[in-house]
Amino acid sequence: MNTIVVTGATSGIGLESVRLLAGEGHHILAVGHCQANCEKADRDIKAGLPDTKIEWYAADLMQQREVLRVAGEIKTWLDTHGDGRLYALINNAGCARSWYMTTEDGYEQQFALNYLSGFLLTHELLPYLIAAKGRVIMTSSQSHKGIKVHWNDVMLSRHYNPLTAYKQSKLCDVLFAQGLNDLYRAKGLHAYAVDPGLVNTDIGNKTAGIVDLVWKMRKRHGVSPTVPAKTYHYLCNQASAPTALYYYLCKAQKHSREVTKENAARLFALSERLCGVRYETEAAS
Amino acid sequence: MNVVITGAAGGLGRAMANECGRRGYNMFLTDVNGNGLLSIQRGLERQFGVTVATKACDLTDPDSVDEMLAVIDQNGIRFDMLLNIAGLDFEGGFMERERERVVKIVTLNDAATLRITHAILERRRQGGHFIAVFVSSLASMFPMPLKATYAASKRFLLDFATSLRQELKDQDANVLALCPGGMVTRDDTIEAIAAQGFWGDVTTNPLELVARKTLDRALSGKAIYVPGGLNRVLSFAGKLIPRSLVAAVIHWRWNQTQEKWLKKENCMAR
Ligand SMILES: NC(=O)c1ccc[n+]([C@@H]2O[C@H](COP(=O)([O-])OP(=O)(O)OC[C@H]3O[C@@H](n4cnc5c(N)ncnc54)[C@H](OP(=O)(O)O)[C@@H]3O)[C@@H](O)[C@H]2O)c1
Repeated sequence: MNTIVVTGATSGIGLESVRLLAGEGHHILAVGHCQANCEKADRDIKAGLPDTKIEWYAADLMQQREVLRVAGEIKTWLDTHGDGRLYALINNAGCARSWYMTTEDGYEQQFALNYLSGFLLTHELLPYLIAAKGRVIMTSSQSHKGIKVHWNDVMLSRHYNPLTAYKQSKLCDVLFAQGLNDLYRAKGLHAYAVDPGLVNTDIGNKTAGIVDLVWKMRKRHGVSPTVPAKTYHYLCNQASAPTALYYYLCKAQKHSREVTKENAARLFALSERLCGVRYETEAAS
Repeated sequence: MNVVITGAAGGLGRAMANECGRRGYNMFLTDVNGNGLLSIQRGLERQFGVTVATKACDLTDPDSVDEMLAVIDQNGIRFDMLLNIAGLDFEGGFMERERERVVKIVTLNDAATLRITHAILERRRQGGHFIAVFVSSLASMFPMPLKATYAASKRFLLDFATSLRQELKDQDANVLALCPGGMVTRDDTIEAIAAQGFWGDVTTNPLELVARKTLDRALSGKAIYVPGGLNRVLSFAGKLIPRSLVAAVIHWRWNQTQEKWLKKENCMAR
């Protein structure tokens, strides 16, 4: 079976995706936020599925040095226990915030975690993904529609609106998947963005303030996280890789018109600068 | 523009540094947290392409400060602005806290701030305008049982800033005291604000706005900046109501809040 990395694996959509994929025999490298929640999630899954193969890693993915550290640990595992190939990477860790808050790098937290951490982690694991002709899946959201990237102030330090920051981070997720396809489809890599739908998880209740209040009301209308887990399962398991970009309930859907090759390339360049990395391209390699 | 920022690896320090970066200022950053300094330095350089130098330093240790000053002098750096952000805040009854932890509040918030301010004023750029900002607090406006030492240490900064401003007026310098309410700078401040309920939400100041307006006001010669309309009302009320009554009300409120807050346990609060 295949090796799959999942971030945000300790609760909600990530946890159910791990349960589904591990239950089928995939070997999961699961990344959580802190040790205690990793242990809790492990007990939760093993209670029903004692024979699943899951390695747990704790990392605060908001901080770039933590992304790099955990990527190093994953690479070591792939080199020593795996066959040097990574079949899929699911960048799912995410948060909501009621206020402008920054990471250690001084980056706005929703942008840094919901999007940029995935950009950097994918960069670190890219050779392993290409070796497997693998798949990268970004957890986006329906809310990526109806908004543009604020190119002059992506951290939104002027007129911060928490919802705008969330939506923009989810638009960036789709743009990143588009950018990856533009660069690496020829090498057999496939990148997707998933809209999980409205899901009943605690994502909005890990912060206080307005987002906490609104989310308490809204999430009651959400589906169980086992529902979106099927879409991740579908994208990982189709023998011949699905070719569209954006999926909801296992079906290709229309994404925002802001998702263009030009915007994707622009975001790629900006993100390379913000992470201090360069993605190898044909010209460079 | 060369700016010194103390406490630059913390939440407010990073927000101020971002604001300076946006304006194209070059920065000299310091903090006790050396790794945090490296992260924010890299982030600022990548976002804004400004020049950022850093030196980890314990401002409460005179030798550590001398080491930092030596680095500054070796490179002949001179400054146009000082943002004194470094500060400490423990909460709880005076006798419930360890002796040295209480003393440390004053050592850092006041003594160390004087030390660095004196040193940087000696190294201000000749012939240029100079700006010093002190981070006081809304707490400086009231006697604050259960935050007694902290509030008094911030009162010290407010009065000191006001006096220093007068002393430096004819030397082409301005001094501003920033007196914010709560600001969400760390994960555990989210919890603290949640525990305060309504009052927590309404006295909370948006960090990014405070950072921007602090610089705007300091540059335009203002003396005090109390962010938020409600906070300005509260600080004015603090001047009218007898101080012992204010103390009694605040004591009652903090007692309730702290009980709620201390009960909560969460793996995020690391
Ligand atoms: N729920 C919805 O309706 C909905 C809709 C569209 C998109 N999404 C997206 O779906 C993804 C998963 O969210 P969810 O709804 O399943 O919520 P969730 O249960 O809160 O899952 C978020 C996961 O990310 C982890 N995480 C948070 N901060 C982290 C950090 N700094 N470093 C590393 N990991 C961190 C969390 O771990 P801890 O709990 O230990 O912090 C948790 O495992 C997110 O990207 C979200 O934006 C959700």
